[in-house]
Amino acid sequence: MNQGDNEITLMLVIGIVAMLMLFISLLLIFIFMQRKKLQYRLNLQTLQNIQKNQLIEAAVRSEEIERHRIAEELHDEVGAILGSSSLHFYGININDSDETSKEMYQKGKSLLDEGIHKIRGISHNLHSTILQELGLKEAISHFCGKISHSNVIEISLNLTDQHNKKATQNDISIYRIIQELIHNIIKHAKANLIHIQSTSKNNNLIFIIWHNGNGLTQNQFEKLRYIKDGLGLKNIQNRIILLKADLAFSYHSERYFIKITIPEIESINRQD
Amino acid sequence: MLKIFQFIVDWSEVWSLLIPIAVLLLKKQPVGLKLVVFYVWTALIINLAIDMVWKFRTILPAAYNSNNFLYNLHSIIRFYLFSAFFIHLNQPFLLILKKIIPVFFTVFIIINFTFYENFFDYWKLSSRLLSTEAILLLFYVLQYYLFKINDNAATRITTSDFWITTGLGIFVALNFFIFLLYNELTLRFQNFAISLWSIHNISYVIFNLFIAKGFYESGR
Repeated sequence: MNQGDNEITLMLVIGIVAMLMLFISLLLIFIFMQRKKLQYRLNLQTLQNIQKNQLIEAAVRSEEIERHRIAEELHDEVGAILGSSSLHFYGININDSDETSKEMYQKGKSLLDEGIHKIRGISHNLHSTILQELGLKEAISHFCGKISHSNVIEISLNLTDQHNKKATQNDISIYRIIQELIHNIIKHAKANLIHIQSTSKNNNLIFIIWHNGNGLTQNQFEKLRYIKDGLGLKNIQNRIILLKADLAFSYHSERYFIKITIPEIESINRQD
Repeated sequence: MLKIFQFIVDWSEVWSLLIPIAVLLLKKQPVGLKLVVFYVWTALIINLAIDMVWKFRTILPAAYNSNNFLYNLHSIIRFYLFSAFFIHLNQPFLLILKKIIPVFFTVFIIINFTFYENFFDYWKLSSRLLSTEAILLLFYVLQYYLFKINDNAATRITTSDFWITTGLGIFVALNFFIFLLYNELTLRFQNFAISLWSIHNISYVIFNLFIAKGFYESGR
């Protein structure tokens, strides 16, 4: 091999190595930068999710506080005035009055009683003292007992005994979700048979609600939850996010099923 | 054993293309990869012709037993298809330059084969053509990475176009100097030049593996 041959071979080897080095360096820079960008995007997304959850939590908590305040005002202020009015009303002597006045008195009395009853109902609905004092199971039982009527709607329950006796913030959210779902089932699905069941499994609290009305499938729910008017579903969704829970709709055996899977409080805290 | 290995390497330009083709048969490719799909099929036909001419050169008439022009043809088709692939990648980066390069390449081919070289040269393939093609394709590959590095959108790294571009990048980076000095090498030490072509063949297998991976990633 002469000098020229050596040079050409050397040039070839150096050339191939240099080109490969250049290419591999750029490839590594590219992969490193892309990974860094992906990591940044992931962190940003996590931060956004945390912020979103905090906003939802704040909104749900302030809604609860507002409900409490309105319930208290209704019960303590309006309820007291109506109660006092009722006492005064009962004190009126109508023995000497004519028949028309007696009839008007009876009508007024029944309207006043109905008003007091309604105010009480709204107040309890807005802020369930049963939930606060006796826990989730009793609150759901009481709520269902109140709205079920043997001729119109029948609600059966099979709830686990593992619910706390003292309501937590999560129990309030669960109660509101159940309340909203039952209202929706009665109002929109026009069901006359509802069953609510709760079980505790693998650190999850599972609620299954089935009914015989015209309910929702998962696809229909996904469509409805983004509609601006669907305030009820949006509230349910917000509380589901807050609980880190999962909500699933399905239809089989001629029944609509709603399954709520809620990680139990210890596991939620562990994730945080 | 060595003979079997050499036989496999010699035919690698054909069988390696069957890997992406096998993926193509299993997975339908999106419109964005149609140019690469077209390249794979065209390359299979050309490479099959190249290897057939080489294997049957003794029984073919003298005028038809050189496959060098087929390498030139493969190089031109590969350049146009991959430059079009990069232009259609929807990367708003160096757009004018990317569109001018194929025009420049066309002018280069016309001038080179009109005044300096013979496209159907019996004795040698065009080192000038193949190395120009390689360096221009390497430019497309590098600008692809630069665009992705500067791009704000953080997407998945291992997309189908990433695999195809990386495969092409490895192929052209490895082969640029081989193509550039190939004519010179065949004149000075022919055996070394022939064994050097095995590097080209191995890099072509790698290229096809990356194309197959790209097809697999994007296929439905």
